[in-house]
Parts: sequence; structure tokens; C-alpha cells
Amino acid sequence: MKPHWGIVLMVMLLTLNIVGAQTSSRELVVGQAFPDIVFPSLEDGHPLSLAHFRGRKVILHIWASW
Amino acid sequence: MVGIIQEQHPDRTRLFMQWKKMNWPILVDSLNLLGVSVVPLTLFIDEHGIIRAVQPKHTDLEDFLKRRDQMPSGAPGRPIIRPDLAKLEKDAREGRPDALRAWGDAAILWGGAGRITQAIEAYRKALQKEPTHAPTHFRLGVAYRLRHDSPFRQMNDFQQASNHWAAALDLNPNNYIWRRRIQQFGPRLSKPYSFYDWVNQARQEILARGETPVPLSVEPSGAEFAYPSKNFEATGATKKEPDPQARILRDKGRLVKVETAAVPPTLTPGSTSRLHVIFRPNQQIKAHWNNEVDDLILWINPPDGWSVDGQHHSVPNPPHPVSQDTRTIEFEIKCPEMAAPGMMVIPAYALYYVCEDVNGTCLYRRQDVPLQIEVKPTKNETKR
Repeated sequence: MKPHWGIVLMVMLLTLNIVGAQTSSRELVVGQAFPDIVFPSLEDGHPLSLAHFRGRKVILHIWASW
Repeated sequence: MVGIIQEQHPDRTRLFMQWKKMNWPILVDSLNLLGVSVVPLTLFIDEHGIIRAVQPKHTDLEDFLKRRDQMPSGAPGRPIIRPDLAKLEKDAREGRPDALRAWGDAAILWGGAGRITQAIEAYRKALQKEPTHAPTHFRLGVAYRLRHDSPFRQMNDFQQASNHWAAALDLNPNNYIWRRRIQQFGPRLSKPYSFYDWVNQARQEILARGETPVPLSVEPSGAEFAYPSKNFEATGATKKEPDPQARILRDKGRLVKVETAAVPPTLTPGSTSRLHVIFRPNQQIKAHWNNEVDDLILWINPPDGWSVDGQHHSVPNPPHPVSQDTRTIEFEIKCPEMAAPGMMVIPAYALYYVCEDVNGTCLYRRQDVPLQIEVKPTKNETKR
């Protein structure tokens, strides 16, 4: 079931690399729209934005591989 | 599931995801246009694009997934249009800082390596009007480092990157994305962890699975592999100085071009910096290393009171007899507690075997590499 898999994923993310994550950006506030900035996708460099996923729920993870 | 990364070299994330078999869309925000100050950061975003949670507990996920909001109008998953570079460039000609930044950002994200210089010019012009705009300093640093890693590199691009990352952090010391960029290339004392120690293990495990690892455009440097250290490991002379009387004939940069970068670019009394010394055989005269003799050496003579983590550094020759590869030596230097503010020159020189042209003359040469670094008073002294 997808929700079950989502919970597993979420637990994994929240236990990975959490050191230092005390505060968030001023702009990323509950109740406000996520900025529609267009970025290159990692996969192929094509333009991609969170607006592309409008109509779907998104778990967004801002992270780094270091 | 969607990810966003702010890394300088995004292909390292691709390698990490291949290693961990992670497969979801990632947006690359190398300029940190989102303005996040820390990672990792998790958000729940609903069907309308509204943020419903920041750093949620894992127990919040079920509620988020159950939540039923009215579906937004318009087709989901609409295509995203690439920014209009020509219009942004035209708008930037009016000279407004926000327009200059928008053009610089687009040139970096969408213009390819050939546009990096234009982005640098745009950011520099924006800083002339708003010299304390910290995000512009950070983005300019990213742009300089990008050009340093590109075929369009210019001398001192890496040092300029370090200068502008440090300027951004000085203006806003609470942004950990900016701080991490200095720490990535900086001294071990200020590192929170090794940044890319996982790369070699990832490659081995991917190869063992029968896959080809994602190639990296830029291999992680010594600083990026290095582990934190609690103490500065000063090392005295463990080897005899190779040319104390300066008798070996000089190469004044004709055969080998030498570039240096200090990260951070300035020191305060008692602090440390990591020096990157980069050697490139001059392609214009087809200069190349002679690898059948001694390794390239860098010898450092720190001034009184200054410490280095080794006076003698070398780069082992590769197995093939000649090559034109770029070679880098990194070392760390500690400023004495009683150092006076001002520009400091750290005397150093390199010794190498280099040949000119194919089948040309091979020479053993010395190049003096005076390393300049500024000592600034500590903040308290400045206030006093």
C-alpha cells in the first residue's frame, strides 16, 4: 500500500542527516504557497518546478549528498 | 516524493542516488534561489502547492495523505517553460540589481558553460549597486567556481569563489548552506564531517552490482574527502629542504601555470586556512609532465610563528611516462595568535620535471609560489 511505503520513506528521511536542521527558510512557511521557481532537473537538465506536481501531494526533501 | 539539492556539483547527488537506488525527481538549486539556510528540510505540500508542514513528524504523514482538499482547477502536471534568456538579458541592460540577478541566475541555470562569464558580469554589476546583498555574493561565488571547473576557466576563479562565499557568510553567518560551501573546501578544524568520503565506496558497490557508476565531472578534492580534526596538526621539517640556496633554474610560469586559492580567503589570529595550489602544464606550448623521474614537490617556508601541516608536499607521478594532467596540492596553515593585521606572504616553491612540445627538451625547474593571505583582526578587536 502506498501510504505504508510513504511512512517507511518518511521515517528513513527523518532519521538521515538530521544534524543542523533547526530552522527553515523564512519563505517556507506553513499555509503559504511553495515558490514556483523553475530549476533544472537532476536527471536530464530539463526545466522542472513544484508547479509540475500540482494536483498531487508532495513530500519535498531538501537535502545534500554530503 | 520530490527532492531539491543545493550542491555545487550535482552529478555527485546522481551518483549517491544510484548507489542508494533512490529514484525520484530532483530539482537542482545550486544558487540557493530558494534561500534555505539549512538542510535537510522536509515539507509536505498539498495538491494546491500550499505548504502543509515543515519538518513534520513521521506520524504526521498519514494525516497528510488522508487529507482531502478540493482539487485545484487546471490540468495537473502542466509543462514548465524554460525562462526566456533573451528577455532577461535585455531587462538586465537597464541595470536594476534584481534584473541583473535574474539574468545572472538564468544564465547559470540555463545558459551552459558559455554563459558563465556573462552571469559573473551581471552579479558583479548588481554588487556595485548593492555591495552588501549577501545572496548575490554567494551566487557569484558559485558562478566563479563553476567557471573554474569549466573549459572557460580564468586564473583566480577559485580564489574569487572563496572570496565571495566568505563575503556572503560574513554578511549572514546564520546561513548554513553558505557555511558548508566554505567548509567543503576549507580546513579540517572547521569541518563538521567529511563531505564526500562515500564516493569511492559508492563506486565500488555500484561496480559490484554490475552497473556503471555515474561519471563525475569534477573529482572531489582532498578537502572534500578530508575528515574533521580537533587540533591543528603542525608538522616540522621531516625532509631536507630540496633547494635552500635557490640554485635551480626558474620557470616563471611559461611551462607550468600555477593558481592558488585560500579557503577561507582571510585569517584571524589563531585561525587556519586551507591552501589549494593548482599546477597546469601550458597547453599553448604543449608542455607536459615527465613522469619517469621525481614527483612534483611543493616546499613551504612558513614565516616565524606560522605553522603548516607539512613543509614538504608532493603529487605522485601517474604510471604513464608523460601526461598533461592538472595537479593539485593542498595544505593547511595556521596564523599565530599574535599576528598583526595585514597582507602576509607565505614563501613556497615547486619543483618539477616538465617537457616542452612533443619529443622536446625536458627540464627540471623551480617555480616560486608566494602565497598571499590577508590577516584580519578578530571581530572583538575591530569593535575595540
